[in-house]
Amino acid sequence: MVEFAIYSIGIGACVFAILSVAVRDIFHSAVWLSLTLLCVSGLYFSLNAPFLGVIQVLVYIGGIITLFIFAIKLTARIGDKTIAQTNNQVLISLLASVVFFVFLLSAILRHPWGRLATVKELPLKELGQSLLTNYMLPFEFLSLILLAVMVGAIVIGKVKK
Amino acid sequence: MIPVHFLLEVSAVLFCAGIYGVLTRRNVIGILISIELILNAANLNLVLFDRYWGSTDGLGQIFALFIVAIAAAGSVVGLVLVIAIYRNGKSIFTDKFNLLKW
Repeated sequence: MVEFAIYSIGIGACVFAILSVAVRDIFHSAVWLSLTLLCVSGLYFSLNAPFLGVIQVLVYIGGIITLFIFAIKLTARIGDKTIAQTNNQVLISLLASVVFFVFLLSAILRHPWGRLATVKELPLKELGQSLLTNYMLPFEFLSLILLAVMVGAIVIGKVKK
Repeated sequence: MIPVHFLLEVSAVLFCAGIYGVLTRRNVIGILISIELILNAANLNLVLFDRYWGSTDGLGQIFALFIVAIAAAGSVVGLVLVIAIYRNGKSIFTDKFNLLKW
């Protein structure tokens, strides 16, 4: 049952990801991206990493997709039907990504991965503890990065008089 | 029972779709959307291998958490840049950006 759910969610993620890069309208692309992210969050839940699944829904679908849709709507006038949305290297890009996919696939299939028995969930308490003990330095650097991003976004986005 | 190779293939599909989008989109927002796809493929692999090798302190999940935060930061800066450029040049197509070229 769980296995069936994993297969269907995974195939859904693949289909939505391909749709999100293939559709013409950039707004539709953002909507397909949000469905892809939802499927990936479902995969996190099935891998017994529920904290990451919740974070994925909160930060990506709640935050980033909203930002994308704002930006798309603010720059909407150039999205009309007559303007090409892709450049003139579609064929060679398709070839490159398919070749790379075949390469990855051959690398994956070469190893006997077996099946992962249902793993026990890592408690959120331990995750938080290792975040604040072993990985303290990157955590603090991350807050520095977020501060820099906040300042930078305000400075760049400010309307100059 | 979790089919490991299937999840790796899903991640590979997401990655290659992202690469295709980055290479072909003219719209900068489309390129940012494709970059999010690539980062999600990496995250899926990190969480999967964290579970596969059974790490005790959740290193893979913490890495994925950092990637989520940095992706959010990156897309915020990218979208602000897009809006600033749109305000100046009324276009967000990559082949129209020749501001820094001479």
